[in-house]
Amino acid sequence: MRWIAVVLALGAAACGAQPAQVPSTVFTTAHRTVSDAAREFLWIRSTPQQPIPFPHKTHIAKKAECVDCHETVAKGPVAGIPSVKTCMICHSQIATDHALIKQVASYSEKGIEIPWQRVYGFTHEAHVKFNHAPHIRADVSCATCHGDVANQTVAERVVDHNMGFCVNCHKQKNAPNDCLTCHF
Amino acid sequence: MDRRNFIKLTAITGTSVTLASCGNPENQLIRFVPDDDITPGIAEWKPSVCPVCQAGCAVTVRVMDADVDTVRNGQAGVVAMAVAKKLEGQPKDPISQGGLCARGQASIQITYHPDRLTQPMKRTGARGTGEFQPLTWDAAIAELVGKLDALAAAGDQKSLVWLARPRASRRAALASTFLTGFGAPAPVEYEFFNDHVLRSANLISFGREQLPTIDIARSRIVIGFGADLLGTWNSPVAQSAAYGRMRQGQPQVRGKLVQVEPRMSLTGANADEWVPAKPGTEGVLALGLAHVILANKLRPGDSGRSGAAIDGWSGGLQDYAPAQVEKITGVAAKRIERLARELVEFHPAVAVIAGAPLAHTNGLFNALAVNALNGLLGAVEQPGGVFFTPGAPKSAATRVRPDTLTTAKVLLLDDANPLFAMPAAMQVREALSKIPFIASFGSFIDDSSAFADLILPDHSFLESWVDVQPESGSIEAVSTSAGPVMKPLYQTRATADVLIEIAGKLKTPVTLPWKTAEDVSKSAASAGAATPAAPSAISHQPSAIKYAEPAFAGDAAQFPFHFLPYASQAFGDGSTAHLPWLQELPDPITSAMWSSWVELNPQTAERLNIAQGDLVDVTSPAGVVRAPAMIFPGIAPDVVAMPVGQGHEQFTRYASKRGVNPIAILAPQVVAEANTLAWAATRVRIARAGDADGSLIMFAGEMRERPQEGETR
Repeated sequence: MRWIAVVLALGAAACGAQPAQVPSTVFTTAHRTVSDAAREFLWIRSTPQQPIPFPHKTHIAKKAECVDCHETVAKGPVAGIPSVKTCMICHSQIATDHALIKQVASYSEKGIEIPWQRVYGFTHEAHVKFNHAPHIRADVSCATCHGDVANQTVAERVVDHNMGFCVNCHKQKNAPNDCLTCHF
Repeated sequence: MDRRNFIKLTAITGTSVTLASCGNPENQLIRFVPDDDITPGIAEWKPSVCPVCQAGCAVTVRVMDADVDTVRNGQAGVVAMAVAKKLEGQPKDPISQGGLCARGQASIQITYHPDRLTQPMKRTGARGTGEFQPLTWDAAIAELVGKLDALAAAGDQKSLVWLARPRASRRAALASTFLTGFGAPAPVEYEFFNDHVLRSANLISFGREQLPTIDIARSRIVIGFGADLLGTWNSPVAQSAAYGRMRQGQPQVRGKLVQVEPRMSLTGANADEWVPAKPGTEGVLALGLAHVILANKLRPGDSGRSGAAIDGWSGGLQDYAPAQVEKITGVAAKRIERLARELVEFHPAVAVIAGAPLAHTNGLFNALAVNALNGLLGAVEQPGGVFFTPGAPKSAATRVRPDTLTTAKVLLLDDANPLFAMPAAMQVREALSKIPFIASFGSFIDDSSAFADLILPDHSFLESWVDVQPESGSIEAVSTSAGPVMKPLYQTRATADVLIEIAGKLKTPVTLPWKTAEDVSKSAASAGAATPAAPSAISHQPSAIKYAEPAFAGDAAQFPFHFLPYASQAFGDGSTAHLPWLQELPDPITSAMWSSWVELNPQTAERLNIAQGDLVDVTSPAGVVRAPAMIFPGIAPDVVAMPVGQGHEQFTRYASKRGVNPIAILAPQVVAEANTLAWAATRVRIARAGDADGSLIMFAGEMRERPQEGETR
């Protein structure tokens, strides 16, 4: 069985560099392709390829706060990948000559969201229900789970969100550790 | 191939497929910039009104973000929108009181139905084939305006017919104002299970042409004559809540429910006593009960106006002595005596009549008899009795007449489906084929709108302004109006807005007091705030009514069974058969789903050598339908019953050509003096037509008669 896993893993790993293709069929309801299923089974996640190399560092150096753009983080379960509308709040005025900003503006003009790729997130099989808002209310800093984004340009997956990581922190802070706190 | 090779081959195949199909599909997804700021994962609850039946339950709708498929500038993609996810009853609404029935719950599927019309459609195929092609709103409105202008130019405004499903909303007022302004006759309303007879009877007995609100909650004994209070009649959510309070809400008292009907409905199954009287004799039983009370002077004999409507009331109903009533109704004289005494003893008592007893040729008599019994029991406008909801607007609409469809030159269909809901003997198909121009405002292609030349699809109720002024269900006046809970998903338009636009575009514009659909709905608040009107005086004293034997189509020798079509718990009159949640909802009595069936008493089935699921031909003087047999102990041996709702020729992928339509074989009998279809007045014969073919789909096993408590078999 290990042999099969290796073959599948090779196949899956080879995918990362391939140009994206539109899947012709849906493999299962949870996985669009066999590749998705195989990768999820083997815990392989490709590095997200962002359409525009968004420099977190530059923005934070200019005193922008995380919540300025990830504005729903304190309101609900999802921090939210910002809409191009949020970019244009500042960039309709600031640095409009910059090549990358022109790209952003062109998305905005077309009325299309920038196809940002998600960096963090749980698989369906993990059956994890994560809610940002209570963590923010408990004053957990963004860096605890997302690393030092202030010194990253494009966000990278630097913290491994495995169960041990969550449970350790919950224990330290006397947060509930019941299964149903996170799993449903 | 050995196991090892099989595994190898599987692995290699898997890898190649993996390589071929890899890539992140999200890269390909075009995501448009949303119009609103939505907090993902956070729900809002917004008010609306359930559109499914006339009860008019206010609902709350859970609204949350979702990705909606859309096309912008010719490009397909998704956009984040706040959309409806779940409906619940509105706790502050006196009608729904926080509850919602299965049909209401499923009504969310109207919005998301895969076969919902997304834009105006013009017929391309022959009438009835359902072949349409899309056109723009401007072209669609111009076409309808052109047809109306042509009618006006010919001075033939009277040939415009508006046929609608009755609804207690301001839409009726809009249609009526539009038609009056245009010079057309008042809107015509049609629904198969209508309550015309009961309204007419209530006008005679109590001076209110209105459905009653039964104060079940404060009653100690309720006797129902065919009224499926807990299932399908009138305001089932309000009535079920009141029933709960009658049973458990009063300390030390458990109210009693007696149900008189030849086929056990959901209400009959909940009753303490089920009394199967012969079909069409329910009024006689009511007067039998009144006779016992009068003869024994158990209550003051005066029942005022309601008693005066009954021949022989002042003389103590001499013709309705229990022994005589037993002969007519088949209910034992002793039982009549006992029930009459219980009705007096357990004060307050109330009688309710609805459904099949009113759909006999003598339906008006049955209704007046039960009204008089209520008068005698002191149950009119008294706690635990019959009330009339104040402030309910009186509809300007008229009842359908035999020539309604044959005289129409332009027919506008507003949620009415006459082809499905009228017997084939009424020749609706022929009439529809001959009407020069038909337009529908429906969201789906159904049996009748397949005959339309133009379909101008309405928004779903969740996308539009809604309002209701329920006629019944609450002792207080109720008026609800609410705005859209979500943006429209498709290129549909609120029918109110379309009518207002058409009114303005006519060569001779019709002036309407509203500018938008919002204005129409908001005018509900002032319309519903009326103070309770005094009962209307009798314009002419009708002669006191006497029992006339119910007349049936088909003689008893050739057609030995009474045929009882009944409102399905899931589909009502069939208008919700297109919702898959309701198709898969097991009938609460028989547990059948996704199908039609014929209910037969076990003795009858045995005599005719019919087994569960066998195909049976049900033949009436007007036609024949074939459906599987359901052996059902809760039905009288001389009655066969079929649920209404299936058998649509066209009604989306879920309901088209599924099951059979029992309405089709009804004879066009009319309720005397009420000008409405007597749908329970047809007799049929039954014949086994074949072995079970698997078309009867049941959720649970067969039903068995269980001996009553303390009774040994």
